[in-house]
Amino acid sequence: MKRVLAAAAAAASLAGALSAQAADPIKVGVITPLSGTYAVLGQQVKWGLELGTKEVNEAGGIMGRQVELIFEDSEINPAVATAKAERLIQVEKVAILTGTVSSGVTLAVGQVAERNDTLLVTTVSFSTAITGAQCSPNVFRINANAAMQSNALAAWLKAEKPDSKVFYLAPDYEMGRNTVEEFKKVAEPAGMATVGEVYAPLNTTDYSQYFGQVRADRPTVLYTSTGGNDSVRLLTQLQEYGLRDRFLAIGAASAVTPATLGAIGAAAEGFVTGVGYSPTISTEANQAFVKKFEAAYKTMPDLYGADSYGFMSMYKKAVEKAGSTDTAAVRKAMEGISWDTVQGTKTLRAGDHQAMMDMYAVAVKDGKFVVIDTIAGDKAIGPDTCERF
Amino acid sequence: MEYVQFVLAPQMINGLAIGIAVVLMALGLTIIFGLLDVINMAHGEFYALGAFLGLTFASLGLGFWALCLVVPLAMLPIGYAVERTLIQTVFHHRDRHILTLLLTFGLALILEDAYKIIYGPNPLRPPLPVTGGTEVFEIFMPNYRLLLIGLGAAVITGVWLLVYRTSLGAMVRAAAFDKDMAGSLGVPVKTIYSATFAFGCALAGLAGVLLAPIYSVFPTMGRDFILLAFTVVIVGGMGSIKGAVVAGIVLAQIQSIASLYVSPVWSEPIVFGIMVVVLMIRPQGLFGRLGNA
Repeated sequence: MKRVLAAAAAAASLAGALSAQAADPIKVGVITPLSGTYAVLGQQVKWGLELGTKEVNEAGGIMGRQVELIFEDSEINPAVATAKAERLIQVEKVAILTGTVSSGVTLAVGQVAERNDTLLVTTVSFSTAITGAQCSPNVFRINANAAMQSNALAAWLKAEKPDSKVFYLAPDYEMGRNTVEEFKKVAEPAGMATVGEVYAPLNTTDYSQYFGQVRADRPTVLYTSTGGNDSVRLLTQLQEYGLRDRFLAIGAASAVTPATLGAIGAAAEGFVTGVGYSPTISTEANQAFVKKFEAAYKTMPDLYGADSYGFMSMYKKAVEKAGSTDTAAVRKAMEGISWDTVQGTKTLRAGDHQAMMDMYAVAVKDGKFVVIDTIAGDKAIGPDTCERF
Repeated sequence: MEYVQFVLAPQMINGLAIGIAVVLMALGLTIIFGLLDVINMAHGEFYALGAFLGLTFASLGLGFWALCLVVPLAMLPIGYAVERTLIQTVFHHRDRHILTLLLTFGLALILEDAYKIIYGPNPLRPPLPVTGGTEVFEIFMPNYRLLLIGLGAAVITGVWLLVYRTSLGAMVRAAAFDKDMAGSLGVPVKTIYSATFAFGCALAGLAGVLLAPIYSVFPTMGRDFILLAFTVVIVGGMGSIKGAVVAGIVLAQIQSIASLYVSPVWSEPIVFGIMVVVLMIRPQGLFGRLGNA
């Protein structure tokens, strides 16, 4: 009798544990810059994820479980970010990681994820290495990479100014060098010459120290992939030195965003970027999203906010398809998954874990973003160069 | 020739403008350190506070010149209160250096988050008060940078005169040299401490107003110049005004010119390398302390 009772008690407690587990929230670890020059980007990531999570939770969560976000400041420093990733995985037992912004941080945290059998989904990083030369079975990207941006931007530039002389000015780390390399890859064969290039440290306060070189090389086009406050300084200081009107300024999607447009002001006029998202995309889904986002945070969403918002609906779909939050099952579910986002349907390519999406050339006109060219997702994505899986 | 005209000469004038900006930051830092023996880790955040207050007052309709006056004045009571309520509570403790370092560092973190909550995370930028540029021998310099060099030089001279040519300055130097002796001779040491701290904060606030149109305003902007400013204070001699001016201009010039010849990423290691060498040969810095010079 005693034994039966004990067994019953054990079964009861087991059942209790199981039901407790079913009600336990799914923890999502968010490693994103909350300080420094990319804090502007991290803030959008945070808002996008929070809005997405709120909606998923209000609709009953994922498989009946609520989603909980746990934030850590990456400080744009791979060493700091990897330590925090380890903590999120080991101590907080997160099911998945996201939020990484700097490509250097994404590559480093991706390795931590792979070692710990966890997944990382970046919604921001540009470097093609993340889903190319240094791809990992545990890392996915649901935003547009540098090659996709360059394909959209170069296609527009080629039609507009076929014999441009381009000067490159980019931040000196993985993303900066990769975006320039990817743009050159499409621009140089199309007859657009390179006249000079400078790689400035991330968080450069004063860009005027490079303007002598810019003047001396006499470019007709300036390409930049700075982001956040770096862009504000670069463009306004160019204007201060009377250089802004001497050439066409173009750049990666990070260069001018709704978050920095206000501070850049008139110096942003005419700037053209290749992007996967713009708040001006006129679809109903996007306009409804922009309205919701503005109501919640008093500011417009940019590509980081929109792509991060899209993470939660993708993850929900993948987990429900997999039937669990188990890494192997979710990975399998995410490979090839198609889901609806505010910028249209995205598909994660199974071969390299890069999302395919329509790309836009967007210009700043009268202080507003205007879509001036569109290129279909399958034309922009380029070949799968990942050889590891 | 074209190289000198287009690259080298503008680079040196730019370096001078950046140098002046750094000196403005370092001045307040070095005075506070020279007198109170406190390393103010929140100095960068006071610089940011100046810039943010500038934006607030500008939205109330104040012009640029009024801001140059109103913001430093508004910083005075804030600095005074910080010294009285925070610094003084740990000032006489055995571990004063560590405690004030931690205290001001904590204050810096709190201020940074406060700016984020109040002003939002996105960068802001006041318009340039003076636009256009001046061209001499086809060397183009924006007018505002020239103004900045002039204004900066005036402020530096003013501070120097105040410290070395007035009886108020003499009291500050006396308190820095020997606070007990100065106190027994009737110098109100405690008030001098608070007032000097407030003055250092006002200088940081002024730097914030002057530099905001060029470098833009955002919650973590306080970290921008602070490392270079600390380096300047260490190389110039902790507490030395002359040292801060000389080291600030020379280091900014070295950084500026070096970025032409080596990858810009190396310009910081070069500056810190110089600091290490100075610390090895002359640990007290190039010039004497506030009380001695």
